[in-house]
Amino acid sequence: MPKALPPLALLLALLPALFSLAQPQAKYRAYVSNEYGASITVIDVATDQVIGTIQVAGRPGEVRPRGMAVSPDGRTVYVALSDFQPRLETPDDKIVAIDVASNKVVAEYRIGTNPERVAVSPDGGQLWASNENAAKGTGFDLKTKQVLGSFPTGVEPEGVAVSPDGRFVYVTGETSHTVTVIDAKGLKLVKHFLVGNRPRHVVFSPDSSRAYVSAEIGGTVSVVDTKTHQVVQTVALGLDSRLVELALSPDGKRLFAAGGGTSTIYVIDTATNKLIKTVKERMGRRPWGVTVSPDGKKIYTADGLSDSVTVIDAASLSVVKKVAAGRGPHSVVIGVVQ
Amino acid sequence: MKEPRLTRRQVLALGGGLLAAQALGQGQPPKLIRIGVVVPTRTGSLEQPVSSSAHAIGGEIARMGAVMAGEEVGENAELLGTRVKVLLASAPSPEAAARAAQRLVATEGVFALVGGIGPGQAEAIAKVAQERRVLFFNIGNASDALRRACNRLTFHVEASAAMYLDALADWFVRANFRRWFLVHTRDAGGQALLARARKALEVRHWGANVAGTAAVAAGQPDFSKELEAIGRARADVVVLLLGGEDQMTFLGQYETSGLRAQVTGFPDPLTQTRDYFYALLRVAPRSAAGYRPLLWEPTLDNYGARELNARFQQRWGQPMDSPGWAAYQSVKMLYESAFFARSLEAGRLVPYLERPQTVFDVHKGIGVSFRPWDHQLRQPFYLVKIKAEPNPGFELSKRVGLASLVGEAPAIVKPGTDPVERLDQLGDGPRDFNCRFGGR
Repeated sequence: MPKALPPLALLLALLPALFSLAQPQAKYRAYVSNEYGASITVIDVATDQVIGTIQVAGRPGEVRPRGMAVSPDGRTVYVALSDFQPRLETPDDKIVAIDVASNKVVAEYRIGTNPERVAVSPDGGQLWASNENAAKGTGFDLKTKQVLGSFPTGVEPEGVAVSPDGRFVYVTGETSHTVTVIDAKGLKLVKHFLVGNRPRHVVFSPDSSRAYVSAEIGGTVSVVDTKTHQVVQTVALGLDSRLVELALSPDGKRLFAAGGGTSTIYVIDTATNKLIKTVKERMGRRPWGVTVSPDGKKIYTADGLSDSVTVIDAASLSVVKKVAAGRGPHSVVIGVVQ
Repeated sequence: MKEPRLTRRQVLALGGGLLAAQALGQGQPPKLIRIGVVVPTRTGSLEQPVSSSAHAIGGEIARMGAVMAGEEVGENAELLGTRVKVLLASAPSPEAAARAAQRLVATEGVFALVGGIGPGQAEAIAKVAQERRVLFFNIGNASDALRRACNRLTFHVEASAAMYLDALADWFVRANFRRWFLVHTRDAGGQALLARARKALEVRHWGANVAGTAAVAAGQPDFSKELEAIGRARADVVVLLLGGEDQMTFLGQYETSGLRAQVTGFPDPLTQTRDYFYALLRVAPRSAAGYRPLLWEPTLDNYGARELNARFQQRWGQPMDSPGWAAYQSVKMLYESAFFARSLEAGRLVPYLERPQTVFDVHKGIGVSFRPWDHQLRQPFYLVKIKAEPNPGFELSKRVGLASLVGEAPAIVKPGTDPVERLDQLGDGPRDFNCRFGGR
């Protein structure tokens, strides 16, 4: 029987999640992947001004940056790159690492074919990618630069996340309506379980007890008990919502769901799993990406059809600004300049 | 206490995608799901076909879609402990289709049949399905009469003629083609298409009118009289309510007639293929160029369509034309129905399919469901423009490039409106049907 963790050890294990990226003196930068521009737009979170564009490939329309993840210290942004020929494995299929301080691409990693999204383990040592056309989830050790393992998922995997306690990787399968659970330490397949119709994205609560999975066609968010890996509740947001990315507030109390079909951000209270607000006014068109600033004050969306980023004030839940991005914003994350 | 009744809108708002909660009743999903597919296919080799009809072109692509679905859906099913097997039968005629369907049910134990490409095949398979109490998914017959037959076990993935004609009217009227000339066959099917096309213009889309009509025989070799009539009518658009081979014969003669009105054709599994576009452009490089509605488009980029199209092209070296998509999605929907209804029995599957909350993802970006009044899959269409190309190439990329996507009907993104009502803008509504299905 596994030994229960004492409270101090538990606290230490959760330290990275508890502290998250919120640092009083830090400067935050939002990174927006522009799927059709082969670029990353960089926004200063203090002023919400664009401060740069990083061209991750010289061939817009041929190479597509999509999902992104940030290292636990906030200093590195990882971007999943692939080309528009999903069935061919090419040199463009890779994860690139951007140094937040310099806004330079500092490393590239090959983590299977056609990576659509990427996640980082809480210790910063592993990357996990969803390999869309290989129907795999692949782990990669950043120290040894070796692939840790490749695991079968449903056809067209997309969302990928590592639990903050580092135990599990969840990968969503769009056509199988499943989540695949991988033991991140034992590197073993745990199980597959059903969620909503066409699951696109997954996030874990800061304490790792819950996972939330969006379903684009179902218009639902599945709430998952991570002890049993079972759906315990389903939040229905309507067939038309066409949900893609999810983001939690740093305290885990609010879940923000990007509704691409209705150009709406749905705000869910995670204590009750009830919809408490929809943000529609002045939203950009087809928000797919959504993230929350580490201090919890602002929400950013990547708006694919209006080539913009919408900035929402987290207190009033109203749009305060729209920022021009590149072509076809897909995702948005926030890095930290120490 | 009486349970409150939910409106359809409320049911949908609660989420058509509550897959984990979709299971009807208790029990485990079937361990083995066997699906039969009956379509006309080529026999012999591509270079030396032993038997091949025009319908076999669509049938062959449908076969590819069904095989690929069997592989992919099978992969997904195995994650959850279920196996899927697709069993194929080639049938060049309705009689052969009926025999094949009987055999697949009786000796192979399929719980559902997919087919209906080629004249009379859907009716023949539907009859077998009714007798043997198995489901039938029609992927090739648009006839409104077939839908009015009210066969409880038949579901239509192929769009109805009414839906296609409304999509055509929606597109051409908005594009300012206001004077239509309709060419139809004299038989009952042609008369029905003519009547429904008139309805599309005169009842549902005010502002356009019928400039003239011409009744022809199926297989008619000479259209010179009809061409004269079209010239006199000063039509903006000529709509060919004809089969694929007759459309091609007509266009070959129209090409040299000096007439300049746009020509479009009624879509069937054959005329929705890039192979057909290629053949049309060889016959009529100028007048074949124009707009056509499709059930599925091989260049569609959104909603996972890029990946689906790419997988199909890599698997078969062929574009995923509409029949391939219809067969693929039929297998996928049948698997999901059996899995979530926890049954292979038609008695349990039909109510499951008729429920408004049973929603499928068919790579069109919106959840789709079967209309309760006629078992028709409600779904959007794609409008493509065939490019004027005097020397079309046959290699895969060139064939795919023979047409480009120009629109979607109805538009699936319209925040603030009911998605099901949006899809139901096309085709006939519940008042046009007398079927007594459980979902009504």
